[in-house]
Amino acid sequence: MAAAAAIYSLFIINKSGGLIYYKDYGSAGRMDTNDSLRVASLWHSMHAISQQLSPIVGCSGIELLEADTFDLHCFQSLTGTKFFVVCEPGTLQMDALLKVIYELYTDYVLKNPFYEMEMPIRCELFDLNLSQAVQKDRVALLGR
Amino acid sequence: MSRFIGPRSGDAIFSSVERVNAELFTLTYGATVRQLLTDLEDVDEVNKQLDQMGYNIGIRLIDEFLAKSNVTRCVDFKETAEVIAKVGFKMFIGVTASVTNWNADGTCCSIVLEDNPLVDFVELPDTCQGLYYCNILSGVIRGALEMVSMKTEVTWLRDVLRGDDAFELQVKLLKQVPEEYPYKDDE
Amino acid sequence: MIGVGKIKQYSNVLDKPLNKGKQEVSLSAFAFLFSELVQYNQTQVDNIAELERRLEDAGYAVGARVLELLCHRERGNRRETRLLGILSFVHSTVWKILFGKVADSLEKGTEHEDEYMISEKELLVNRFISIPKDMGTFNCGAFVAGIVRGVLDGSGFPAVVTAHFVPMEGQQRPRTTILIKFAEEVLRREARLGG
Repeated sequence: MAAAAAIYSLFIINKSGGLIYYKDYGSAGRMDTNDSLRVASLWHSMHAISQQLSPIVGCSGIELLEADTFDLHCFQSLTGTKFFVVCEPGTLQMDALLKVIYELYTDYVLKNPFYEMEMPIRCELFDLNLSQAVQKDRVALLGR
Repeated sequence: MSRFIGPRSGDAIFSSVERVNAELFTLTYGATVRQLLTDLEDVDEVNKQLDQMGYNIGIRLIDEFLAKSNVTRCVDFKETAEVIAKVGFKMFIGVTASVTNWNADGTCCSIVLEDNPLVDFVELPDTCQGLYYCNILSGVIRGALEMVSMKTEVTWLRDVLRGDDAFELQVKLLKQVPEEYPYKDDE
Repeated sequence: MIGVGKIKQYSNVLDKPLNKGKQEVSLSAFAFLFSELVQYNQTQVDNIAELERRLEDAGYAVGARVLELLCHRERGNRRETRLLGILSFVHSTVWKILFGKVADSLEKGTEHEDEYMISEKELLVNRFISIPKDMGTFNCGAFVAGIVRGVLDGSGFPAVVTAHFVPMEGQQRPRTTILIKFAEEVLRREARLGG
């Protein structure tokens, strides 16, 4: 299997702030279930607060958080679902990757009759397609 | 001045997405309506169920619409209606609708469809005269808009299957819920 | 207004000419509709066998109509009378119209004379569907099995038709096999007609 791009983890949170999908890649930044739930709800709140704090009317919230040891890229759909990846500082094409993940979500989650809205995502095909999408060479191609 | 960014027509999107023969879609919808008529035995109940099924589809389909159309945000209800008619209908079922009959304050309009793949081969039998055969469509619009904070009421004004010259859906905006900040300032 | 008067009014649907079947909708529109059909049927059943049966019923209605449509449009109102003829009609003509391609394979069962299998690496209706673990071997292809049964039945080839996942070597995902078991009368008739 090809190497994953330098992504540490992926989160999807529903519009009420509940974590509905979490996946980590490799050993860096791996966390247990409680921690991942905490990160999700914390991010949900921070994101909302950032919208309020922003001097720009209609600001849609934090898109990128840069720290010494990681970057966090976030995409929120107009329907309120948030997708965010935590990755190595300076990793490229993360916005494009989030868009791809959003599309995979509309295909393999929302079109699955056995998925219940707002609930944790357990869809084999979503996992499969996602693990392909985050592979390093695939992510690199997004830049073309 | 409009902040709207996105396509003005769904033609390009429709030609780029994967497509299937409309007959598979039409006949599958027909089989669905037939099942409902057998299960529920009452035309009004079938209308309700079709609307509910449409709503369920709408709340899911909106994300695909947003993801594939690159529509970022609509300024007002007027623009939203145009986008549904010109981009939404085309992108999913390959037909274009038009928007007319706006009321003065821009909260109510009609979406008119000349063509509709759901009704190929269909004629309402005498026992189903009260059936809104395409009621799933009104549910889809209501569900999709609710997910982007617009509460609407969608009703049929004209229906070709009932002898009218076109399909006309009236879409009335009841309430526009602003995007929520989850915490009240004084809490 | 766009396209006003484009559609001619017909007093009766039968007067309306059949179109050529070249119109298309997005795969997504079909997938959302099919997903909702499955979800609705789930609310109407107590167990998986019943869900399978109901999806098959829905498919049967589609199959019966596809047969009428195709016999009229593509075959000048003629239909197949021989076993291999009808099987290849399903595998090629019907599949092409409904799913845009001929089926991946058509094989005769090795153990039973009356069994045939149409297989597809990825059945169109299953494209976006992941079956939860607690549903076991359930396959939404039951709908397609129903379509096949509808076509066969309408052509005078009654059969029991079922859909199964079959694991494939070297593939992550199983393929779907539509298993057709013809009624005894069909095989007797076929034997009478000779080769």
